[in-house]
Amino acid sequence: MEQMQTAIQVNHLMKKYKGFTLEVEDLHIPKGFSTALIGENGAGKTTLLNVLAGIRLDYKGEITFFDQWSDKEREKTGNPVKEMIGYTGPNNYYLPQWTVKQVEEVSKLLFEKFDGAKFEKYVEMLQIASTDSKGKNKKISSLSDGNRMKLMLSGVLARDTELLLLDEPASPLDPLMRDVLCDLIREYIEAGQGEKSVFFSTHNIADMENVTDYAIIMERGRVVEQGFVEDLKEKYILVKGEASDIPTAEKILYSITKNSYGYEGICLAEDMNKLAGLDIEVSTPSLSQISVAVMKKGTRIHLQ
Amino acid sequence: MKLSQTSGIPIYQQIADAFRNDILSGKVKQGEYLPSIRGLAKELKISVITTMKAYELLQEEGLVTAMQGKGFQVNPQDSEMLKEQHMRHIEDGLTDAIKAAKRAGISQKELREIFEALLAVQE
Repeated sequence: MEQMQTAIQVNHLMKKYKGFTLEVEDLHIPKGFSTALIGENGAGKTTLLNVLAGIRLDYKGEITFFDQWSDKEREKTGNPVKEMIGYTGPNNYYLPQWTVKQVEEVSKLLFEKFDGAKFEKYVEMLQIASTDSKGKNKKISSLSDGNRMKLMLSGVLARDTELLLLDEPASPLDPLMRDVLCDLIREYIEAGQGEKSVFFSTHNIADMENVTDYAIIMERGRVVEQGFVEDLKEKYILVKGEASDIPTAEKILYSITKNSYGYEGICLAEDMNKLAGLDIEVSTPSLSQISVAVMKKGTRIHLQ
Repeated sequence: MKLSQTSGIPIYQQIADAFRNDILSGKVKQGEYLPSIRGLAKELKISVITTMKAYELLQEEGLVTAMQGKGFQVNPQDSEMLKEQHMRHIEDGLTDAIKAAKRAGISQKELREIFEALLAVQE
């Protein structure tokens, strides 16, 4: 692959809390793709997203946006980075007493490139509220968690951005809406023709696998694996075998699930020769299977 | 295009197979472009990187060429160009084998014997 263009690049990022340290040596969010940030609750996903979104500014390290602007430059007035990024939080960030209409008005004031008509189109399409006066006067406090998430998504999609930062967008959504979310992400990426990128976090990657191009797996404040999904699927391999071989396989596999008939687990493709002689069946793992294995292993291994 | 998540055949492989058939059967003609990578991903509800890998595979096989900023164009079939691309592919493979033999200290004579033996097996 040619020199990768990035939407965001992070170097030596460090943020310390009492009892928790976020420490990211090197992280890329490739431009033109959809990137998933995968990790258990408490792995540091939200902290990282908050730093990238500019919500937290008390950290050490360097962040480069769109291969061009530093995080320091972003904070200067007139810098385009803020207009170029759309962010949705894990919880609703609109004031509870606002109406849907007021959300639109405030967004217009805050963002130069906010398109009111587009916003209303999404509000209707995502079935958050009707477009008549009754719907527009609906209060945020009366919306369900799912509808609040959809409203934030409408807010960012109504703007002309280059990057979406979405913190657990799928969590409050029902299965049908998760599917719609995946479609919205693909539409955004397609419309960008290689220029627009999406970065979202999730603790349930299974729902989002088919919209993930690049995966970053975090554990206890660190990035333990990152790479393009198709490369990861070649780096790791899913192994199934007989119960009698469990003692040998256990030493080599990253993660192993056993029962009285046999076992199943993930190992590095390069370690396959160590399983020589065992009666095994191999196949390509899914991203969820890789993620679980990497998180179970919990050590730092980099994609070559 | 029918894609199966459970067939055991990787999705990128299934996509490449479908387009290969279309190209070799003449359904997609030389000079035509394959759907855009991101457009196809949206259409098939799969990730961009998967369609990209499918197209890269077709490119390696010499069936299509990536045109800067325009997408993947179908190559002329059964032509000099296609043969040239195949030749390049073969040369690359053999060069790798020669390098590997050098690293392992295997003589040219032995290497030829391996090659002959493999040829015989294939036939």
